Amino acid sequence: MDFTRRDFIKSAALQSAVTTAAVLFPGISFGAWKNADSGAIEWKKTPCRFCGTGCGLLVGVSGDRAVAVKGDPNCTVNKGLCCVKGYHSVQILYGKDRVNKALVRKNGKLVETPLKEALDLVASKMQETIKSHGKDAVAMYGSGQWSITDGYVSSKLFKGCIGTNNLEANARLCMASAVTGFLTTFGLDEPMGCYDDLDHADVFITWGNNMAEMHPVLFSRMLANRKSKNNVTIIDLATRTTRTSQAADKSIIFNPQTDLAVANAICYEIIRNDWVNWDFVNKHVSFHKGKTNIGYGTQDHFKFKDKAETVDWETYKAFLADYTPEKVEKISGVPAKDIKYLAALFGDPDKKVVSYWCMGMNQHTRGTWINNLVYNCHLLVGKISQPGNGPFSLTGQPSACGTVREVGTLTHKLPHGVVMKEGARKMAAKIWDVPVENIDPKPTYHTVEMFRALDRGDIRFMWIQVTNPMVTMPNLNRYRNGAEKDGRFLVVSEIYPTPTYDVADVVLPSALWIEREGFFGNSERRTQHNDQIVPMPGDCMSNTWQIIEVARRMGFEKQFPWSEETYIEDIWNEYIQFHDTPKHRMAPYKELKANSGLQWPFVNGLETKWRYHAKYDPAAEGEDFDFYGKPDRRAWIWLRPYEPAAESPDSEYPLWLNTGRILEHWHTGSMTRRVPVLHRAAPEAYVEINPDDATRMGINSGNKVKVSSRRGSVIMKASINGRGRPPRGMVFVPFFDESYLINEVTLDAFCPISKQPDYKKCAVKLEKV
Amino acid sequence: MENPKQKVGKVFLIFAGLCILALPLIVLTALSSEPEEMEASVADTQNMDFDDKGQAVFASYDQISRDYLEGTSTGRTLSEYYSRRQYPGSPPFIPHKVEEPDLAPIECLTCHARGGWTAELKKNTPITPHPEQEACRQCHITVTEAQLFVETDWMSVAPPRLGRTSLPGAPPPIPHELQMRGDCVACHVGPGTVAAIRVEHPSRGNCRQCHVPESNAPLFERKPKS
Repeated sequence: MDFTRRDFIKSAALQSAVTTAAVLFPGISFGAWKNADSGAIEWKKTPCRFCGTGCGLLVGVSGDRAVAVKGDPNCTVNKGLCCVKGYHSVQILYGKDRVNKALVRKNGKLVETPLKEALDLVASKMQETIKSHGKDAVAMYGSGQWSITDGYVSSKLFKGCIGTNNLEANARLCMASAVTGFLTTFGLDEPMGCYDDLDHADVFITWGNNMAEMHPVLFSRMLANRKSKNNVTIIDLATRTTRTSQAADKSIIFNPQTDLAVANAICYEIIRNDWVNWDFVNKHVSFHKGKTNIGYGTQDHFKFKDKAETVDWETYKAFLADYTPEKVEKISGVPAKDIKYLAALFGDPDKKVVSYWCMGMNQHTRGTWINNLVYNCHLLVGKISQPGNGPFSLTGQPSACGTVREVGTLTHKLPHGVVMKEGARKMAAKIWDVPVENIDPKPTYHTVEMFRALDRGDIRFMWIQVTNPMVTMPNLNRYRNGAEKDGRFLVVSEIYPTPTYDVADVVLPSALWIEREGFFGNSERRTQHNDQIVPMPGDCMSNTWQIIEVARRMGFEKQFPWSEETYIEDIWNEYIQFHDTPKHRMAPYKELKANSGLQWPFVNGLETKWRYHAKYDPAAEGEDFDFYGKPDRRAWIWLRPYEPAAESPDSEYPLWLNTGRILEHWHTGSMTRRVPVLHRAAPEAYVEINPDDATRMGINSGNKVKVSSRRGSVIMKASINGRGRPPRGMVFVPFFDESYLINEVTLDAFCPISKQPDYKKCAVKLEKV
Repeated sequence: MENPKQKVGKVFLIFAGLCILALPLIVLTALSSEPEEMEASVADTQNMDFDDKGQAVFASYDQISRDYLEGTSTGRTLSEYYSRRQYPGSPPFIPHKVEEPDLAPIECLTCHARGGWTAELKKNTPITPHPEQEACRQCHITVTEAQLFVETDWMSVAPPRLGRTSLPGAPPPIPHELQMRGDCVACHVGPGTVAAIRVEHPSRGNCRQCHVPESNAPLFERKPKS
């Protein structure tokens, strides 16, 4: 073979280019992807699979594969932009360990089984359990990633047909406090405003919410607003310095749990300076007091019921006397002048103010209270229900609102109303075609108590869909031990092996996201439809159809009559009968299919952008505001005091533990860790330590440290001066990594009203290992 | 001294130039106001909504120096370019070290808004086509680990072929999406570009005069009036 000098130079040059790159990025080869069918890309719309922002995506399809993503320019949520997870979202379909066959545990091992046989087993096991232990011994645990139809058929099967209220969803761990906050203040769930507020407001306050990483598309929209005007202020009010604090105009750090005191102090200042919008308050607000010293729910069978007592303005004013900025500075560590500054922003009649929050306020043992208190700040100055003015509760999952909150897949809920109300039961029984006696008027277990019941043996059979509780339950050791006990039967509908899959007796292979038709509902009351865009792999089946198959095997053919071709549309048409009033009317199927999401109430072909204001809301009466959710047609200001956390640092466990997410990974990482670029950016969890604490303990970045609490411990690498910086006395651990189960360390204390656990506060110690 | 005729001629020339520059803008504006039903359907062709960067192209063109325009020292190759992406058009990862805290608008855009030589990395900096987006690290992330968590079956389409002209010597159409990548000058001009896609005639400036977006729309067919 001739090998000329020219060839040699050519090959040497190529070689050196490859080598250089290989040295820079070991393991990354050129031409990073295999080529799918050549030919044109076809673009199809879908909501994103990840957070509650609900970005519209266009998925590029070539042959039967999803091959690319771009932002959907027709979707008003993101207007063509995505975050790094969205851009790579289609890669979640193609992890090599995809579950695409049913598995049944035989002699301790999960064995591939024909799907039909596995479904037979699920149905017969459920019937057997009901026979031997009663209907309240079977349970379903779903999630805010359920498509709306998944949640709807579970509710119909469990509440309507089987007759148990053992139906919960992981959204209990995620936004239950937001719901109880809305219900106690406004009488109806879900925000009054929408994302258009991002373009209209002058002041943004993020309450314990790292939007830059958790809701990046909305945050960049906020930054764009600031850039286009010269009077926009972003304030990050948080317990830890994050990317959001860095981008904000001002970062204010408060001691964990003291947001309660800070919010009251803002109201104190608004009143002291007479910045109150009297016209609004006199016409649209009433004042109420609830119980205090309400406990933390750490014991089994904990019960609590709040009682509202109407009070007057003077009582409210007297209650706030304990919350002068100077007094609150001592509790919260927030300088009095910063509290006064915040109050002045609310009080300035020329400034439009929006508050954003998510898990910082919701995962809180006084989660309902802090939601109420932030509403108080807005209500005193009347900054609500108008473009650019309003409190806005963000969600973390694509359909926490659409499925869990609107369909009501929680123990006390029905698609419309609560099980305790006869009218709601009658309505459900009529639409579901079941005897009204089937629907049990008594709620059973909220999520934490449901897993306690599984541990105790009160629940014997649990079907888990689209969530990973063996990573996400607080005080995890107890609940995993419970799930693994003899005599418990766990069915897990999954797409990849996870720690929850590891404890399953039956694994059902689920169709994921765009492999099936479905609906999500995002944070701003927007319902979003997607077609099936790519085929389901192997034996995979949509979660909705799995439930239908099992329901039919249990003898409920009449209630689940639909055909595989049109069941999604048929279920939608049945479901929306529950919401057929101007307060909550949903868009028809045809409209949803044609549009990149539509907001409810959808009345006379129009979306509702702002609720409770006659100018924008078809259900509102009168000239302007109408808080029609409450019988007095007023929004309720609540007197909610500061009470300490369930567990605070002490001499033995001297640090706060805070947990949460990071930009690259979504929830437990079962999807995002299978996306190469996301895993390569953030391959493992770590513990963020304050630099001063680290120096004092002789810990350097990358050192292994043991984080332990009274419940468990994890050994992981230290991160000092990383992207997030906790203040002195706090450590932060992200929960995406199943190799470091930080929830073995966290505490299962919850808000007594919402029953949502607090993942942000417990006491730990740190040791170098 | 100029004589008056020359002056008039100059003014006329400038006016004519402005007209030529404005023409595509007018056409583009007209195109972007398609009938409503066109907008509602999710097109499988390119979305013309993003073909509105004419002004940005001219602005970046005006801002860069002659030296930069003609800079040919680029060492970047197409395979290097695609090795940082997961499919044609995905946001590339950051191939160099970045600092925490994230001060992206300052730190990224200092170099990537205008380009130029970086002594630290000994490279010419590529320019971002969307400097108006300041939350850079919302989409662009670093690489800290080579191993995957689980192997992937990912496939995507082949990158577009270059220089696919319809006629010999005709200007090739634009083979990529314009969404987020509508500023031609950013990626096709100067020493920081990928050598294979660097244009040989950067001094022309009005790229879209000759290069039009390629789409896979079927050929025009006239529907006879019934």
